[in-house]
Amino acid sequence: MLRLLAARRTDEVVITTMTATLQWPLVSSHPLDFDFLAFGMGHASDFGLGLALARPERKVIVLKGDGGLLMSLGSLVTMGRYAPPNLLVLLLENRSYEMTGGQPLAPKADFVALARGAGIDKVEQIEDVTTFEEELPRLLTEPGPHFIVLPVTNSEPLPPVAHTDHAERVVSLRRGLGLE
Amino acid sequence: MNGASAARTVAVIEDLGFTDVVSIPDGESRHLHQALLDTPDIEVYSPTREGEGIALAAGLWVGGRKPLVILQNTGLMEAGDALRGCGIGPSIPLLLLVGWRGYPGAMAGTMPVDSAYPYTEPLIRAWELPHRRLMSDDDLGVIGEMAAVAEGTSKPAVVVYGYGFTP
Repeated sequence: MLRLLAARRTDEVVITTMTATLQWPLVSSHPLDFDFLAFGMGHASDFGLGLALARPERKVIVLKGDGGLLMSLGSLVTMGRYAPPNLLVLLLENRSYEMTGGQPLAPKADFVALARGAGIDKVEQIEDVTTFEEELPRLLTEPGPHFIVLPVTNSEPLPPVAHTDHAERVVSLRRGLGLE
Repeated sequence: MNGASAARTVAVIEDLGFTDVVSIPDGESRHLHQALLDTPDIEVYSPTREGEGIALAAGLWVGGRKPLVILQNTGLMEAGDALRGCGIGPSIPLLLLVGWRGYPGAMAGTMPVDSAYPYTEPLIRAWELPHRRLMSDDDLGVIGEMAAVAEGTSKPAVVVYGYGFTP
């Protein structure tokens, strides 16, 4: 899935957090990639919402996990309320805290229902890679915001965490946006 | 003390060039919150909790806006990880207006003392954030002072308001 996204992506900001921060650099190296790891537990899509509101001409894609979402469920309500059309949240649903060893999450939580109930109009669950590949061009161009649930599994060992300077990540992204 | 005028505070916020306000209203800030909603040149966002709000404000700033965050001291306590991760760590110069719940009662000698009162300034000092007190219109200059400190240090700075805002 990440390879498909990297292949289609052009000038969108891509914000990653937790497991995605380890996997996304394997397929992408772009000035508008932003590693949100350790910026605030559960807040990647809140940051993405602010960025999307600030830059309405620019698509903002957030790759986050279901564990992170559960740490800030209220963010769904705020996303539904302010609803910038240029925001795309891809929820990597693996039902576990993968980075910390795979501890299980609540098995019955329905993330599609939660997002719809929070007031987000364009909520979808995409079940497989083939469908994701088919739908991706639409998701990258159609006005949103979109909240997409992607059930995922990962059998490969995770790469080690790269500890890069937080302030430099911000400067790099602002430079990519033409603000530095 | 009756606090600061909401209208005069909004004028200061506009003069300083703030483009957006991220605000979860409390009893003391409700008149300021309403005055900001009535100000067409400032966008007001109300998240569901304060940590969410600080992350949202950080995104706004990274995207080129100039946000102000208004939250109660109880919200500051909730938002510690977001403040660390989206403000202090990455050097994002957010200005926070923090409502000091419990301060008026403590000054009046009302018992019991609100447990939010005694931890407010010690918590701000623990974060090593510069701060000033805003108690009346006479203190409105501290908003600009702390905004300049935030921008000069590339770190968050705080204005604590003790008596809220009058209409």
